[in-house]
Amino acid sequence: MWEEIFTMKIRFLDPNRVNQIRDYINSDPEFKLAAKYMSQDILLQVDEKQCILKIRDGVIKDILLNPSPMDQWSFFIKAPEKSWELFLQPTPPPYFHSLFGATLREDFQFGGDVEAMFAHYWATLRLFAVIRQLQHE
Amino acid sequence: MLKTEAITGKYIYITIHDVEYRVYFEESGEGIPLLCQHTAGSDGRQWRHLMNDKEVTSEFRVIAVDLPYHGRSLPPESKEWWKEEYKLTKRFFLDFLIEFSHALDLERPVFSGCSMGGHIALDLALEHPEEFRAVIGLQAADFTPGLDLIWFDHPRISAEFKYANLYESTAPTSPEKYRREVGWIYSQSAPPVFRGDLFYYSVEHDLSEKLQQIDTSRVAVYILAGEYDFASTPEMCGQTASKIKGAEFVKMKQLGHFPVTENYELFRGYLLPILKKISKNR
Repeated sequence: MWEEIFTMKIRFLDPNRVNQIRDYINSDPEFKLAAKYMSQDILLQVDEKQCILKIRDGVIKDILLNPSPMDQWSFFIKAPEKSWELFLQPTPPPYFHSLFGATLREDFQFGGDVEAMFAHYWATLRLFAVIRQLQHE
Repeated sequence: MLKTEAITGKYIYITIHDVEYRVYFEESGEGIPLLCQHTAGSDGRQWRHLMNDKEVTSEFRVIAVDLPYHGRSLPPESKEWWKEEYKLTKRFFLDFLIEFSHALDLERPVFSGCSMGGHIALDLALEHPEEFRAVIGLQAADFTPGLDLIWFDHPRISAEFKYANLYESTAPTSPEKYRREVGWIYSQSAPPVFRGDLFYYSVEHDLSEKLQQIDTSRVAVYILAGEYDFASTPEMCGQTASKIKGAEFVKMKQLGHFPVTENYELFRGYLLPILKKISKNR
């Protein structure tokens, strides 16, 4: 079982999926409500692979895969792939069910403009809730 | 027919350290007093499911208090509280709970609290064993450092953060409506209260060198911990219990930091056997 989980791809890094993920999140009613004042660029890192979610006025305009060092972001969330896979399980194991818990007790990291992240924390959590749903569809 | 609940509310006046406080509490049931303490930055509404559980209220008088500055217990009128930083100290917390119990003339109540309420359960067991027949500490640990964090009280971060952050402190398996209720209540406290309470929870409360002094022959000690709690983890709570001779520890599956509120139906399966034991030993 664990082998199967660990070979699962992280779909928000999949070039064939990013447009679907962007559209799905943008159509989520709770994300629309939570993100209405959000204009942030979020760097997500899985091992050494990265993407930037570019959000403007509550809408994900683009998911930029493999960004260059010149691409700017406001805050980041990083973890090893095996930890992301646990985090994105439909029912994550303890501490991986929560961004804060996974950072406090596991090996997730956040940084950059954390004030922006906490100011938009509801939207950030909803973003991951939707990504979690899509990871298993 | 009008749908109602058995819970009633009341205001009383209590003086602590020469300051008078107008204190709100709710109660339900008759029998052995069960005094319930809410978590940091929250209020007594967290206990509503327990207070509506007839299997409990048929044998226990359940009382849930709002600490001063929380819920319907407003800040005191007799001092300029707005000129001081709000901080919950262990001394105030202990003295308030003892005074509240005396004001209601409770006879050796059972004390139950969650998170900071769980921590103070252990402080009460150590410092006032004669006052209580048992303490039930939910998410209770000897020491939980590192959580007195600036973003819990910052002018550029709204109450919406608390709504989201405490929502994610519940178990993902708990009913969504009650997970949201936890967050909702948290979004309603005054800006400095949650962090001010964390001063007690994460800085001042430290029983790491004193657990062995708790005498369970004088006051029974039960510690229950939800497996999804990343603040007072089951490991921390279990280690705490193991250092108190005679204390009982239960790890609760599929529950997070707010077992009473987030999934009472599941939680009562852990609580009721303990209450029955206490009732039998009355």
